[in-house]
Amino acid sequence: MWLHVRLSEVCLFLQAMFILACCFSDMESGPIATSGSVQPNGDRFKIEGRAIVPGVKTQDWISSARVTVEGEEYIGFLRTDGSFVVNDVPSGSYVVEVISPGYKFEAVRVDITSKGKMRARLVNFIKTSEVIRQPYPLQLRSSGPHTYFMKRETWGWTDFLMNPMVMMMVLPLLIIVLLPKVVNTNDPEMRKEMEQSMNMLNPNPELPDVSEFMTKLFSGSKSSSSKAIGGSKASGRPAVKRRNYCNWSCHGNYNTIFFKRAFSFVFCK
Amino acid sequence: MSKPTSLFVIFFSLFIMSEAVFEDQVGKFDWRQQYVGKTLFAHFDSHSQSSNKLFLATDKNIFASFNSRTGDLLWRHVDKVGPEGTIDILVLHGQDALMVVGGGRLLRSWDTNMGGLNWEAVLDTGSFQAACFVAIQDTVKHVAVLKKAAISLHYLTNGHQKWVENLPDSDTVQYQAVYSGGEVEVYVLGVVPNSHLTIIAYSLEDGEIIKQVTWSVEAPWLSSVESSCVVIGQGVLMCVDPATLALYTLPIQAEEAPQFNQILLQSLDLEVSLGFQPVLVSSQPHPARSPISEFFLQLGPDHHVLLQLNADGYTIAYVTPFFFFFTSFLFPLQACDINLFSADSGRRLLDTTVIFPLDLNGGKPFKLYVHAFLKKDDSVDYRVLVQTQDHALTFIQQPGRVVWTREEALADVVTMEMVDLPLTGTQAELEGEFGKKADGLFPMVLKRLSSQVILLQAWLAHLWKLFYEARKPHGQVKNEVTIETLSRDEFNLQKMMVMVTASGKLFGIDSKSGSILWKHYLENVQPNAVFKLIVQRTTAHFPHPPQCTLLIKDKDTGLASLHVFNPIFGRKSHIAPPALPRPILQSLLLPVIDQDYAKVLLLVDDQYKVTAFPSTKNVLQQLQEMASSIFFYLIRSDQGNLSGFRLRKDLSTERIWEVVLPTEVQKIVAVNGKRPNEHVHSQGRVMGDRSVLYKYLNPNLLAVVTESTDAHPERAFVGVFLVDGVTGRIIHEAVQRKARGPVHFVHSENWVVYEYWNTKSRRNEFSVLELFEGTELYNSTVFSSLDRPHLPQVLQQTYIFPSPITTMEATLTEKGITSRHLLVGLPSGAILSLPKMFLDPRRPEVVTEHSREENLIPYAPEMPIRTEWFINYNQTVARVKGIYTAPSGLESTCLVVAYGLDIYQTRVYPSKQFDVLKDDYDYVLISSVLFALFFATMISKRLAQVKLLNRAWR
Repeated sequence: MWLHVRLSEVCLFLQAMFILACCFSDMESGPIATSGSVQPNGDRFKIEGRAIVPGVKTQDWISSARVTVEGEEYIGFLRTDGSFVVNDVPSGSYVVEVISPGYKFEAVRVDITSKGKMRARLVNFIKTSEVIRQPYPLQLRSSGPHTYFMKRETWGWTDFLMNPMVMMMVLPLLIIVLLPKVVNTNDPEMRKEMEQSMNMLNPNPELPDVSEFMTKLFSGSKSSSSKAIGGSKASGRPAVKRRNYCNWSCHGNYNTIFFKRAFSFVFCK
Repeated sequence: MSKPTSLFVIFFSLFIMSEAVFEDQVGKFDWRQQYVGKTLFAHFDSHSQSSNKLFLATDKNIFASFNSRTGDLLWRHVDKVGPEGTIDILVLHGQDALMVVGGGRLLRSWDTNMGGLNWEAVLDTGSFQAACFVAIQDTVKHVAVLKKAAISLHYLTNGHQKWVENLPDSDTVQYQAVYSGGEVEVYVLGVVPNSHLTIIAYSLEDGEIIKQVTWSVEAPWLSSVESSCVVIGQGVLMCVDPATLALYTLPIQAEEAPQFNQILLQSLDLEVSLGFQPVLVSSQPHPARSPISEFFLQLGPDHHVLLQLNADGYTIAYVTPFFFFFTSFLFPLQACDINLFSADSGRRLLDTTVIFPLDLNGGKPFKLYVHAFLKKDDSVDYRVLVQTQDHALTFIQQPGRVVWTREEALADVVTMEMVDLPLTGTQAELEGEFGKKADGLFPMVLKRLSSQVILLQAWLAHLWKLFYEARKPHGQVKNEVTIETLSRDEFNLQKMMVMVTASGKLFGIDSKSGSILWKHYLENVQPNAVFKLIVQRTTAHFPHPPQCTLLIKDKDTGLASLHVFNPIFGRKSHIAPPALPRPILQSLLLPVIDQDYAKVLLLVDDQYKVTAFPSTKNVLQQLQEMASSIFFYLIRSDQGNLSGFRLRKDLSTERIWEVVLPTEVQKIVAVNGKRPNEHVHSQGRVMGDRSVLYKYLNPNLLAVVTESTDAHPERAFVGVFLVDGVTGRIIHEAVQRKARGPVHFVHSENWVVYEYWNTKSRRNEFSVLELFEGTELYNSTVFSSLDRPHLPQVLQQTYIFPSPITTMEATLTEKGITSRHLLVGLPSGAILSLPKMFLDPRRPEVVTEHSREENLIPYAPEMPIRTEWFINYNQTVARVKGIYTAPSGLESTCLVVAYGLDIYQTRVYPSKQFDVLKDDYDYVLISSVLFALFFATMISKRLAQVKLLNRAWR
């Protein structure tokens, strides 16, 4: 089978990205960039700046830091006072970043015109033409060390006690234990009074209890009822269950998403 | 709309935080090894006596500082890859290290103490030739840089240019050396090959040519100053002519035109080994003083002579025969001697011999860096850094003690595999019980009992060992990993990493500790070779040893050879690989196994003939039976041609399809199938309305990435073609306009994720393609490429990624139940673990009830990068080239190795550790609660009894 693929026949599958590009197509306000094609004989410029980590001596961090321009297209190193120069950069628009494994720096977009005029602005990948000026020569101030680690959940007695579930368990327990002590049940008059109040709560003693009714129903005709349960499981239950799982997952347990999927898949089959 | 969206993103990203590392896990199951590459220049810090620093410049464009006592990296500066970052020269003066970078592009001065830059100066264009320090009155103040057509002088303090002068007749004269002997002149030596030598003296002050000393000396025998001449003593140029076997001397600073003075080697009773080019070596200890008048002449591969130039400058005193590497002929290359000689007397210094054993699996030594110093009692001591052909550095102290070794070949890992470790004897015994055929009830019971006894024995032995070791002082207990003690752990988390480096050295590394367990140097590997590592037999087939095959292919000729070895011990296998006389185009590993449980490797040569390895009768028979269902593809990116072939019974092939992508418009950049060991657990996705969207899981699908030949930002494009490898049917095409590479992509399950550069918006973008069969499966039992009438539904979505990337890979787990993450290597050296959930083309723009139920994250154009998702926290991996993922025995755990300049090994848990107890599992709490409950029941039971008794008495 011979298949010739011609470019003209290639159909477009640009979806969300295309829409985006259309929305922010106003690109011409910035200097015209040809960051892709570097003219070998064109003028070369330098990007200057200074990086500061407040409260840290330069010798403690500069040996592991460097300045990258548009990924690793151009690389500069930091001087002993924290200043830097990236030499040999042709005109264009570049994202300049100070990379240090210890400290966080904001990236800056630097535009260089073909005449060598420089401009620094905030990086905005969505609205690429938006200009929020930054000082040039660059002044990059670290906003502190990177946060690489999560905090472990620590466990304290107070957390345990203040947990609503525990409160709900402990309070009734207290009531069960303490109430009989407070109210003297051995007193016959008191007992009579309590029985009366119990009868008040259950207005119609003739009416069967719901739970009793259910047990009777299921134990009475085993075969038919089990089918009914099976049926209800297939139709009504999953929705409830899914809701439950959804709630779980919102509590921060990511695994349940997978469980949820597995479950729902089984049910749907 | 935007506000709720961002809120949702924050909310979702909060609960997908599972990937983060906890601070107490640092170094628990991960390790990093840092490398710098092949050493080009090495200097010891002689600035202060107590200093133990070592500075290296390497072929990977790295300038690094090491602690010479331990071999640990102090700091390292990684420059740009390629010719723009190459280090032309590294010279050291005091605390400053001077470097010419990028073929004479930049001049850099480093503060070696701090690891920071002093200054950087841009040099004029022109290819770099030489550089040297220039001193006046014993203080070094300048540095001279010689280019092809100009010489410039720079201040050492700030890099400013003092003067620059064009060299006369630079189109005919090749200027190759610059020399300063502490005077007010700088000499430039140039040569017109096989004609004459030119010497120009420049004034240090203003760069004037001091007219009197510009002459040309007849030298018809001289072709290059660089390779055959050195300056020794008080400005005497010493050259060697390999043709006439003679030395020539010439005083550079002479007033009138001098002539070369010829000294025949014969007159010194010296003989040159046959076919060897004699080499001169001299030394200038301090730039402010002239070089010493003793020099080495190398006469053979292991024959050196130390010579001295007499005071008159014309005769040479024969000092001593000197064997640099004195190798015993009886035991060829098992050990090397290094001797120290006094340059004044030419005598060997006593007690300075260092004998160091050579690694049989390593390369030969080829360069020495000696650091000699005076001890407190005025005796001479020295340390040597030996560089061997396999890029390893060994630091040796007297008397022959190896202080440390660095395997710098690991800076360029090309490919790797992870191999399961073998079972221990007892484990194998237990496993064997299930493998054998049942032979009656009674023997089975006996066997079971005996294996249980063995287990009990092993457990008791373990207990005894624990008890015994507990009594010993703590420091003495060593649990070093050796090949003998290696065995598989409970969850198969510890594996053998087989790494192939570009230099041809193979390594076996323990994945738990990172220690190198074996190494094997393949000597005759071409520098441009390409490698493919294939695991033919795993450790699962005891007693057959595991077997790996390395396919080494010369990139120019296409000729290939096979190296078969045992991945656990590194030993070469006795199995003879087939001879491959023709260039190899493609290799494929079949699931077919021979009677020894080795998978069959097929090699396709340029005549489309197939060679099988192993090629026993059994295998050939199996191949004949299966031939009609074995398909393979070939790519010819220079012709834009992608073609599919089928195997015939006689092991020839027939072409069954061809796809041509016109090379004038676009070129094929990469083709990638799916990983054969990948499992997909769920066949479909449950949608919000309870229907199932089935995945299109075509195991034969190939993703072909093309780039346009037109690089103009407006017309450039990137194309992705999904081609069925069996039928050649194009399943899907996607084109990104105004985009260019480098394209990184991952092809797995039913999706392809690719990343490219958007030339219009100047940003990196991720695009995801997902293929679905629809809500009904065509044939749910088996997938056949030949019987799929419907094209899959393809969904695509694109996102902005706020950083360039260097490589990309997807996590892999044993059964594929765990959710997938993408591991993205960033230029900063971080490895980002990005949940695949973020790259889901079904992410809705408007949140609905259904999408919420499906747990779809609402669409947001920009992908987040959170430092908590960096699996390697601050242990950055410079220039990540590849990420290797392997499943472990635990479903939740994926083993990850990132390699580039450094090697980093860790484990990731894409869906948290759902199948084992967490690290921070609170055993104390759970046991205390248990005990408390137990006692509470006991007490309450007792109380209840007392109460009942009381009531009964009443």
